[in-house]
Amino acid sequence: MNLLVDLFGYLSIIIHGLTIVAQSMTLGGVLFLIVLALPLGSTIGPKVAEDTARIAAWSALGLIVCEAATIALQASVLTATVDLSLPEALGASSAVAGMVKMAAGAVIALCLFTLGITAPRPLLLAAGVVELIAATMTTHAAARLEDRPILLAAAFLHQLGAAIWIGGIPAFVSALARVDDGFGWRAVGARFSRMSMVGVGCIVVSATIMSVLYIGSPEAVYGTAYGVMTAAKAAMFLGLLALGFGNYRSVEALRADPNASVKRMKRFAEVEIGIGFSLFFAAASLTSVPPAVDLTVDRVTWQEVVERNTPVWPRLVSPQHDALAIPALQAKLDAEAAVHSTKPAPAFVPGDGVLPERNAADIAWSEFNHHWAGVFVVLIGLLALLNQAGLRWARHWPLVFFGLAVFLLLRSDPEVWPMGEEGVFESLRDIEVLQHRFFAILTVVFGIFEWRVRAGGWANKKAQLVFPLVTAIGGAALLTHSHQIANVKDALLIELTHTPLALIAIAAGWARWLELRMDGRASRIAGWVWPVCFVAIGAVLLLYREA
Amino acid sequence: MRTRLIAWVLAGLLLGALPAAAHAILVESTPAISATVAGGAIALRLRFNSRIDRARSRLTLIRADHSTEVLPILPEGTDDLMLSKVTLTPGSYVVRWQVLAVDGHITRGDIGFTVGAAP
Repeated sequence: MNLLVDLFGYLSIIIHGLTIVAQSMTLGGVLFLIVLALPLGSTIGPKVAEDTARIAAWSALGLIVCEAATIALQASVLTATVDLSLPEALGASSAVAGMVKMAAGAVIALCLFTLGITAPRPLLLAAGVVELIAATMTTHAAARLEDRPILLAAAFLHQLGAAIWIGGIPAFVSALARVDDGFGWRAVGARFSRMSMVGVGCIVVSATIMSVLYIGSPEAVYGTAYGVMTAAKAAMFLGLLALGFGNYRSVEALRADPNASVKRMKRFAEVEIGIGFSLFFAAASLTSVPPAVDLTVDRVTWQEVVERNTPVWPRLVSPQHDALAIPALQAKLDAEAAVHSTKPAPAFVPGDGVLPERNAADIAWSEFNHHWAGVFVVLIGLLALLNQAGLRWARHWPLVFFGLAVFLLLRSDPEVWPMGEEGVFESLRDIEVLQHRFFAILTVVFGIFEWRVRAGGWANKKAQLVFPLVTAIGGAALLTHSHQIANVKDALLIELTHTPLALIAIAAGWARWLELRMDGRASRIAGWVWPVCFVAIGAVLLLYREA
Repeated sequence: MRTRLIAWVLAGLLLGALPAAAHAILVESTPAISATVAGGAIALRLRFNSRIDRARSRLTLIRADHSTEVLPILPEGTDDLMLSKVTLTPGSYVVRWQVLAVDGHITRGDIGFTVGAAP
């Protein structure tokens, strides 16, 4: 039963992230349709509005599916653990709010699928407002004891801003692809720039209110998981603003010269979607941690951050497997069972909610893993830089990923086969093991694709995009990765290292994307940025410490 | 266009992973964690940082022999409180709480304590 609650927490984050994506694309699509595509129809043609209506309709359908999954998951946990009937479980205020969201999504989807661009605008807007109010009732603000009205208003504004700006970008990218003249691009770009500014304004105002009331002090920014994740969101927000400013300049260039290239605007907008979605998943993971102001004990101090991150020589020699806490405990249990001629109890049962005890050897084991992974990644970055500089044999650098994947599979979970006694499938009940396997598979996937691209001369454009996409996805996933360590402080100190790693990986992925999708000077600059990001990731790993 | 959209949705599907952390957290409790209290009728009081849905939450008593008993949650108190009453003999106990916060998050935790002789 404990496993069910743990899995609920795990799955609910993933589904929540998808829900934010679907909600933002639905509302952003509706607003793009009403504020931009329809009014500018005479300049940019009716196809843009039709495309936008389709994007919003399918997103609304996605929203319904995500919300249904959320309600089903919550109801299944409640009926299984609290002995409630299904109607009782569905009576929870969050479930009711979820059903309202589904109904609003259904109205939007039905209107747009059946009536297309002739769907009544007041009805679309009303459904959007109802959806946003219901969504606000499932945020932190709804459960607050103090400052509830202002936090509810801020949560509403925050989601609205995200929908106008980030949620509208897929429709913007689609519109740029559909329009084929400078006047049309300028009209779309200029109107969306103004919409984005309104969205950014909503986000800045609401984020300021929430930072003051949920974080409260500068110490809480680095001292709590909530603060660290908020800082990561702010970093991605600044990246998005920089890209948005680039697009604004492209629009201004079109004003002076209608024949100016819009390629940069299109490519930047693609990257904005990727970073924006990563930000949504960071936002989803924020909902699983308590607001910083509530965490008054177990905060990390600045001295502890400095002490933990002071560089020391990497640990390149592994401790003995038998010295680790679980094998040592298992050996003790085996010996006791042998005395009484009984079956030995397992030292650790994956997924039963009881955290494994860690000792000094466990910490050394983990540091060794991170440091050797750092060696692999620095090697990848340096070889990629040499390849970029023209050294032909260095193009085989993706092969290093296979070595890294094998290393991770063997070393990351010592209690699991082949090092430990646990079976591979049995171990997947443990959320942390599951995540480690996911990262190892990701490593193999992008290793294969990139090696074929580099060494095999694979000209398939889509195959070339696998490496940047998977790197960026891996970074976003790392942003939401956490370690099952009973000590809250230690877990946070580890996350303080993993969060910059995630952000650099996201930057690396999208820099490579821009190298491939752009040309000329911009492409060349991006081509040097991502290998440097890999070297930086390797360096952070080499300096990683857990004690 | 449609292919591009599907690619983005797939990218979105692949994103993200996280174990359960705490959202509604226990702010204080009676008995406190690791406390020793006198045996007999004991009033349990758990206070959280969020408004909770008591009707959809649960308190379970776990005895030293691992036997369990679901404790009644009293309807009194403000939205952040869970109250209960239980009569206990000397020994070690754990009260396991599972709460549904009003925003839909389910979290759980344990309060271990010892019961001494009755006064």
